[in-house]
Amino acid sequence: MKIFKELYDYREMIFSLVRKDLRGRYKGSVLGFFWTFLNPLLQLAIYNIVFATILKNGIDKYYLFLFVALIPWFFFNGSLTGGTNCIIGQKSLITKIYFPREVMPISHVLSCFVNMLLCFVVIFIIVGISGVGINILAIIFLPLVWVTQFILCLGICFIASSVTVFFRDLEHILGIVSMAWMYMTPVMYGIESVPPKYSFLFMLNPMTPIIQSYRDILYYKTVPQVSTLLHALFLGIIILSIGYLTFNKLKKHFAEEL
Amino acid sequence: MNDIKSCNIESASDNAIEVRTVKKKFKVFFDKGQSLKEIVLFKNRNHYENRWVLKGISFTVKKGEAIGLIGENGCGKSTLLKLMTKIMYPDYGDICIKGRVSSLIELGAGFHPDMSGRENIYINASIFGLTRKEIDNRIQNIIDFSELEEFVDNPVRTYSSGMYMRLAFSVAINVDADVLLIDEILAVGDANFQAKCFNKMREIKSNGTTIAIVSHALNQVEQICDKAYWIKDGIIEEQGEPRTVIPKYMNWIMSKEDRIELKRNEELIEDKNEIIINDKNIESHQEIEELDQDELKEIRKTGQEVEYGNKNIEIVNYKLINLSNNQSSIKFSCEDSAKLEVEYVLNNEMVDEAMFSIAITRSDGVMCYTTNTLIDTGKNISLKKNGRIELFIEPLQLMQGEYIIDISLTKDYGPIYHCICNAIKLSVYNAKSDYGIFKPNHKWIIK
Repeated sequence: MKIFKELYDYREMIFSLVRKDLRGRYKGSVLGFFWTFLNPLLQLAIYNIVFATILKNGIDKYYLFLFVALIPWFFFNGSLTGGTNCIIGQKSLITKIYFPREVMPISHVLSCFVNMLLCFVVIFIIVGISGVGINILAIIFLPLVWVTQFILCLGICFIASSVTVFFRDLEHILGIVSMAWMYMTPVMYGIESVPPKYSFLFMLNPMTPIIQSYRDILYYKTVPQVSTLLHALFLGIIILSIGYLTFNKLKKHFAEEL
Repeated sequence: MNDIKSCNIESASDNAIEVRTVKKKFKVFFDKGQSLKEIVLFKNRNHYENRWVLKGISFTVKKGEAIGLIGENGCGKSTLLKLMTKIMYPDYGDICIKGRVSSLIELGAGFHPDMSGRENIYINASIFGLTRKEIDNRIQNIIDFSELEEFVDNPVRTYSSGMYMRLAFSVAINVDADVLLIDEILAVGDANFQAKCFNKMREIKSNGTTIAIVSHALNQVEQICDKAYWIKDGIIEEQGEPRTVIPKYMNWIMSKEDRIELKRNEELIEDKNEIIINDKNIESHQEIEELDQDELKEIRKTGQEVEYGNKNIEIVNYKLINLSNNQSSIKFSCEDSAKLEVEYVLNNEMVDEAMFSIAITRSDGVMCYTTNTLIDTGKNISLKKNGRIELFIEPLQLMQGEYIIDISLTKDYGPIYHCICNAIKLSVYNAKSDYGIFKPNHKWIIK
């Protein structure tokens, strides 16, 4: 419990790191902060050309189907691959100054999270343009899914950031793993296209129920099933626990290893 | 759950820091596999040795006390400070600190070059654990202290390195903490700003903050700290008042340098025997490094006589004579004349000439006068087996104060035969009420 108090004392550090990250990210570029929106839109365009125009998957309004899953995926991906750098990239701070080490992964995930929330503005615009409309009752569940995903991403980031310090290869391994992980998660396709005999494997994937929930809310305009939400929350809490324990065990030796 | 061992100081105790038999080891890898083959085969991966940098250190610091950790490079003092800040954790023993800790080990942590000075103050201060409100309260003090008012809204990348450090230091020093840990950072900015930092440190101390400093600047330790700990090879070699610990440490450093010189000389003599036997100028090959200015200053501080050199010529006796009564003395009036007598013996027949130098320094470190026989006479002095050098200073012309005289015999500006720092301490008094640092010969003519 001590850690919560300490993190609360250091809340300003978390916020200022998030601010610095969000503001500093596109500093110096011509379009600046606009890249936050432009980047996912361009990626959406590429995937849409490949999977809707060329492969013709027959999913109605595929761009929306894809986009509501892709934006949360970017958040997850950022926490995973970006997380590898969030301790080793801050060598000078870690080796020279004391602060609760948890601040680094937390602020990293928080910054990815805020980035996603900003992109949700674009999602709502696209939902509006597409004419699909919004189910207010379903939208109420959206913050719940956000929190659930935040828990999961934090756990992932705890693991990725701390293990990379001792095993630098992880950074490169995760580059490939994250790509495979995306294709093994129903981001580009629906869960119903997965052959039934493999579906239990997909259910072990913590991102599957989260993506499903987003899609239920924003694409199918239905309230997500309670079982899906609980499933996601359950996996998220497990990952966060493992992540925190790993991080807590390894953090004492960060300064020596860096 | 492998939580950090929580340790507490009894609330009744007035100790702010307790360090209990702390030990710390590092793994030293002999050969970390670098080639692809080695990496693939994991060859030599685990070939390492444990090196204990701290071998059981214990001390306590009372609230409001300031301590200094001194020792040569690699003795473990910085590691100890890092353990105290909880950047690293001890392998054995524990460290307890009561109250909020702030460490000034890294200045300008987290500065972003593209952001303004003001924004960076917020980022930097937040890393020290300050909340937004606390920073809001301090920001004016920080800006005032840094003297960067007009630049504070410019991006930090446009700052000069001095401005950058000033800003960073201002943030660090304005973090109010119960315990302040400092690693060698008072050398920031120009002399003016340094003095300001120094005064601020004193102010912080007088406000009851407990301070631990790691420093090579022994005079800072002496001026700020109540206690000094000399750490040698991972244990506390000496502890006590800085006035007693620092001279011991200095002596040890000096004697260590002497040993190194001696060894070097022996090696050179061996070389000499092998290669060039009848070269008269052989001693010019012997390089004995002079002490640099900082070291000299430290020696001054201690006030103890310190000698070094290869002693091919050795100063065996020296005294200062007050010519007003022809007696050996260290008390002079500023109108008195003085004679310095130095006797030497020639230990190495190959040396035939040398230069004699003298330096007069006031006790606060102001160099008053230095000269040598080469400057004054244009040539070296030719040496006898046993010789005497006399220097007349008529009149002394120094004003009231304590002065220190260093004497040395060297070959031109090359190898040092024998140098004695702090050889003579003399005090000068002035019976009249004229005032200054130097009394030029003068007379008045009123027409």
